[in-house]
Amino acid sequence: MNLRRAGAALAIGGAAAGLVLAVLRLRLGRLRFDRGKAALQLAARGGARYAASAPRLFAAAGENREQLRHDLALQTAEDVATTLGTMKGVLMKIGQMASYIDDGLSPAVRRTLSRLQDSVPPMSPELAARVVQEELGMPPERAFASWDPEPIAAASIGQVHRAITLDGRAVAVKVQYPGIAETIAADLGNVSLLRRMLRITAPAQDVDALLAELRDRVLEELDYRREAENQRMMAAYYDGHPTIAIPGIVSELSTRRMVTSELSDGARFAELAGWSQQERDLAGETIYRFVFRSLYEVHAFNGDPHPGNYLFHGGGRVTFLDFGLVKHFTAAELQPLMHMARDLCVRQDPEAFRRSMEEAGFLRPGAPLSTETLVEHMAVFYDTIREPGRLTMTGDYASAVVRRFFDVRSPVAEYVSVPRSYVILQRINLGLFAILGELSATADWRRIAEEIWPFVQAPPSTPMGEAEAAWRARRQAAAKTPA
Amino acid sequence: MTAEGYAAATGLVERSAAAFASGVPEQPADDGFFGPGSVTWRISADLAGPVAGLRALLMQALHPLAMAGVDQHSDWRQDPVGRLAATSAYVATISFGERAAAEQAAARVRRIHEHVRGTDAVTGRPYAAGDPALLLWVHVALVDSAIAARRALGTPLAAADADRYVAEMVVAAELVGVPAAQVPASVAELASYIAAVRPELRCTPAASESMAYLLDPPGLDEDLAEIWQDVRDAAVGTLPDWAREMYGYPAPPALTPERRTEIRQALGVLDAVFLSEPGVLEARQRLALRMRTARTA
Repeated sequence: MNLRRAGAALAIGGAAAGLVLAVLRLRLGRLRFDRGKAALQLAARGGARYAASAPRLFAAAGENREQLRHDLALQTAEDVATTLGTMKGVLMKIGQMASYIDDGLSPAVRRTLSRLQDSVPPMSPELAARVVQEELGMPPERAFASWDPEPIAAASIGQVHRAITLDGRAVAVKVQYPGIAETIAADLGNVSLLRRMLRITAPAQDVDALLAELRDRVLEELDYRREAENQRMMAAYYDGHPTIAIPGIVSELSTRRMVTSELSDGARFAELAGWSQQERDLAGETIYRFVFRSLYEVHAFNGDPHPGNYLFHGGGRVTFLDFGLVKHFTAAELQPLMHMARDLCVRQDPEAFRRSMEEAGFLRPGAPLSTETLVEHMAVFYDTIREPGRLTMTGDYASAVVRRFFDVRSPVAEYVSVPRSYVILQRINLGLFAILGELSATADWRRIAEEIWPFVQAPPSTPMGEAEAAWRARRQAAAKTPA
Repeated sequence: MTAEGYAAATGLVERSAAAFASGVPEQPADDGFFGPGSVTWRISADLAGPVAGLRALLMQALHPLAMAGVDQHSDWRQDPVGRLAATSAYVATISFGERAAAEQAAARVRRIHEHVRGTDAVTGRPYAAGDPALLLWVHVALVDSAIAARRALGTPLAAADADRYVAEMVVAAELVGVPAAQVPASVAELASYIAAVRPELRCTPAASESMAYLLDPPGLDEDLAEIWQDVRDAAVGTLPDWAREMYGYPAPPALTPERRTEIRQALGVLDAVFLSEPGVLEARQRLALRMRTARTA
């Protein structure tokens, strides 16, 4: 008991010492001081926010949550293996992605997946520090000007620590559980067990495609370098964007099991409930633009439309977090999707739409279905962009889309399936509608889509569109001017 | 009830989970008969638990007199899941409960045993459940199975720890009424005891029938039923050859490293399901905290 208390006191003492050290360091130079001070405040506020709103922050039962977190912390790599080995880490990962498959899972399976996430304690400060030491070749106290040994949030197979870099930047450092990548990679091989466990109530071929896709995405997420790369790429693309912000990556502090990015502050999704509808509309418009600009221009999709991955700043400005799950598309993969939207919404040519669906592999060629039935079934997915005019996204619409998507009894279901490369895309789409529905966001989505659709490229339709067009023009000019 | 006259095994996980959670006290007055520093606690936390449990039942059922007692006096056909849950609750209370709770549970079992008497139809021998010889076989089968399952599928157990476990468990036999001097206190003693009892063992029709039910319980949730096949293969696979031959079970596929991983993965999933039952995570956390405190003290 005393030892445990002493451990906690040491940890807190360590944090205090770290901060004192940081302040001393910062006093050395005026510029550094100001920047560091701001960073410290930001870190403090951001940390509290994270801690208050991270959805499954090491949820332990009972009143002594904090104490429990401490006392149950994983202390060794063996602790990690016991807690997350033998399928548990895999199931937990899938649980995090369960929003994509939620409607296909039984309540019992869903409960198991969510309970698993609650069951994982954080790493002890010592274990997290050991990972940093192994990754950077020096302890966090030397690699950073200040290192907070207490994690501020649970992350994908790891946890997030706040820190201040040696040059005074406030950062969020995601540290991976040691040994977890190897364990998960091994357990992912047992596809038949995953299938049995998940028992997704969807047509078999969809389940296989979904599992294969989830498997690939999970494997990708095990290497944080890929996440850093994705985030760097997105940050570079959106650099200077009027409303979209992506925290920069600190490359020299990012490795396979560690990813360091600038710490951002802002309102969390839940706080938007108290904002004006006008603000919520603007936030919705930014998220919409971000999703489809990324898809059509960067050929990539931030695969995690979880509400926890946004920070809101007002005026429609949104910071996008967490690029662990990014799906990249080839031009050839995107083409049929574009054609489907073009044929149905712009050209209004149902037969061409049907042909494009067949080309994309969505529809079995020669299916004994009238094109009319097909269009009627598929139209719900395009409802918001078939006609110009202001339209409010609602929770009901989002649910209708989801219901239609999972409606295996529909006469069309038998002939329609989602090819593997689009599985995640479809799920994200559903997530996007859910988020916009929750915001009750109103806009002329069709006209925004026309701005973004490469086959239309309409002029700006909103003030945000104007600002975005100016940003695009600046980007193009910069690209043409030799550096 | 199914067509064969057995109740379905629905709720097996739910009720075993509730039994486990209820056996782990919230604010214990003492550490019970084992305590957080014991090998017994460490072994109980192992993934191989369900395999150990099933193997123990398979071994226990081979004693015709022990089996006759269960067959003639237990309601297992009407409520097999309840019967298993009661055993789980008993084992959890003895392992993790306070001394008073463990003694109370043991006293209750001894009282019930007083009325369990009869004549085995197969051997014609009279039996009494309170007979130390029968109780000892049941005890030894459990201890031996915990070690065998852990060796085959769990995290490795040092020889000294296995001996310590057998010695620790002597008190469990004492609690149900076996004089301590008769109870094996090391792995070697365990083995020679089993060898000595072996001539008495056989697979009676009652054993065959009840174990057939356990190996393939009707009405198990669909997703669990498939995982149960792995548990079953593992339990049958860790039986001594002579025991498996008595039942006439075919030898399951060899336990290659790949097969072992597969079974461990299935056990991990089963454990995840178990963990999601109310109270289980909290009970485990209570145990983990006490074990950790014991480790660092």
